Amino acid sequence: MRGAAFHWGVAALVALFLAAPSLVVLGASLTAGNIVQFPPDGLSLRWYERVLAARDLRAAFGRSLWVATVCTLLAVPAGTLAAVAMARWRFRHAAAIQLYLLLPFTVPLIGSGIGLMLLFGELRLLGSVWPVGVACCVINLPFMTWAVAASVNGLDPELERAAANCGAGPVQCFLLVVLPAVAPGIVAGALLMFILALNEFLVSLLLVDARTVTLPVQIYNSIRSIITPDLAAVSTVYVLVAAAAILLLDRLVGLDIFLKAK
Amino acid sequence: MPAAAHPAAADIPAVEARGLARRYGDAQALRAASFTVAKGRFLTVLGPSGSGKSTLLRLIAGFERADAGDLRLFGRPVEAVPPHRRSVGMVFQRLALFPHMTAADNVAFPLRMRRWDARDIPARVERFLALVRLEGLGRRRPDELSGGQQQRVAIARALVFEPQLLLLDEPLASLDAKLREEMQLEFRRIQRELGVTTINVTHDQREALVMSDQVIVMEGGRILQDAAPETLWREPAHPFVAGFLGVGTFLEGVAADGPALDVAGRRLPGRTTAGAPAPRPGHPAQGALRAERVTLGPAGTLPPGSDAAVEAVVEDAIFEGDRILYELRLPGLGGARLRAIDADPGARARHAPGDRVAAGWARGDFLLFDASDRTGRLP
Ligand SMILES: Nc1ncnc2c1ncn2[C@@H]1O[C@H](COP(=O)(O)OP(=O)(O)OP(=O)(O)O)[C@@H](O)[C@H]1O
Ligand SMILES: [Mg+2]
Repeated sequence: MRGAAFHWGVAALVALFLAAPSLVVLGASLTAGNIVQFPPDGLSLRWYERVLAARDLRAAFGRSLWVATVCTLLAVPAGTLAAVAMARWRFRHAAAIQLYLLLPFTVPLIGSGIGLMLLFGELRLLGSVWPVGVACCVINLPFMTWAVAASVNGLDPELERAAANCGAGPVQCFLLVVLPAVAPGIVAGALLMFILALNEFLVSLLLVDARTVTLPVQIYNSIRSIITPDLAAVSTVYVLVAAAAILLLDRLVGLDIFLKAK
Repeated sequence: MPAAAHPAAADIPAVEARGLARRYGDAQALRAASFTVAKGRFLTVLGPSGSGKSTLLRLIAGFERADAGDLRLFGRPVEAVPPHRRSVGMVFQRLALFPHMTAADNVAFPLRMRRWDARDIPARVERFLALVRLEGLGRRRPDELSGGQQQRVAIARALVFEPQLLLLDEPLASLDAKLREEMQLEFRRIQRELGVTTINVTHDQREALVMSDQVIVMEGGRILQDAAPETLWREPAHPFVAGFLGVGTFLEGVAADGPALDVAGRRLPGRTTAGAPAPRPGHPAQGALRAERVTLGPAGTLPPGSDAAVEAVVEDAIFEGDRILYELRLPGLGGARLRAIDADPGARARHAPGDRVAAGWARGDFLLFDASDRTGRLP
């Protein structure tokens, strides 16, 4: 029993440590005063009202949502097909392709960012928001592939033979048997891609300008001028959106899918 | 089906394989397999693990292609026919039920894929769930059913679209003994009721004998014997077949006229089996003897019904309930070993370890096989 108490104690400390930044931001956002501080100086929701009224923040948030949507819409088919193909079909250079799909992880983000900036600049895409979504998809695709691969690897190959034996052609077999079986992985990967793109900062910083600025970059720009509690309020909203996505993920497919990813 | 249009459709075998071969890397999983299965029959493929049984089914179902040979189903070459266009139902070794569908949806799946009229499907699914005694359980998912119930869903799914051929890849292996026996009888009943030609794979010799009209014994990718169950039991064409069908003792020696086997100077009369090459006198040979055909008597006597007897020392007597298994050493035959089963221990005196007894058998029970290819030539 004492062992259990000890474990719970340690777990609680770790949880507190992980949650501390979010809690501090939450507290600071509720201040009634004019400067960011923790603990807050009195309680009020006035900074949230300020945020709601701020057109630039709202617009930046909208752009971030759009970026996340573009990223997810691209990543779902690309990551799913890549994961299924790698798990199912033996083809030449499979190992090399696998490595290539992991490559974005091994290149420092600043490197990918500069590369994408040069590429998009050359293609004259830099004035639009959607290329940022494409960039987010490129750098985070391994997460999508992993999430789906976890489901595909848990799939009995005999299931596809059974489908063929039942009279299903290759396309029906994929749509009616493989896809539903790996759906949890796809949902998990999609939500993960959405959150990552919503939060993406470094690469976006290099790709956006004043007209296409996304929320994390907007917040960063504001911090460089003056730090006011409305930034804490924005951050809190941000944390809540991400938390909602994680809760949704847990309700839909269960978070344990990530424990099975390897 | 094209077979029906053929003038002599009734004589066309359901399955006709000629020289089928399949290799995986450097493992020759199947070598020159040739056999036929007549329509409506129940064939069992029997063999140890890795002998190529599943490989054979995969070729018939069309999941893989043969490296060589010719396969016809109902008279029609199927080389170019993909699996989803073959009229073959299969129950897989690990069942492979679709986990995201209910039992009823699993059973309906082949009908939907084969474009049956949607209005007929529910009634037909009901009928087949009833056939495998799963009435009322159609709404459950596979993981809400017991192992035996899942088995039945798999059977219903394989049969519901009236395949011409049913393939069973050891679907009973994972069940406990009692349920397995029940399901064996169930299979037999359903197979008779529907008259579907069936190929069943197993490494359980009892299952093979109980269920089949015809049994193929495989080893190392080769077909060793293709015969009716009784023939297999009485006339094994190969020592491996005899061993796989429960022969417990093989005595090594030299073939002699008679026919007989010379072991350490003793001449033991026996017989050759139909289908196996007769051992040539003077060449290495083996004698195979079933434990339950050995009779024990007092030392120095010829036990009743025996044509030959050897002196034996009881090493172990194992009580198995309805019978006693004796492990015997044969000092007169250079220390060879023999197993004997006394199936009616109540009526006779029990022998204890260390006892000297006579072990006898009828010559018709001592099966002689050539062994010159195994042991090489005599010195
Ligand atoms: N996909 C494969 N890749 C490589 N080798 C294989 C493959 N499938 C089968 N083999 C080999 O071919 C041989 C026959 O395999 P098969 O699955 O037909 O055996 P089996 O008789 O069904 O055995 P079991 O009773 O264990 O199911 C084995 O030596 C096996 O290792
Ligand atoms: Mg097998």
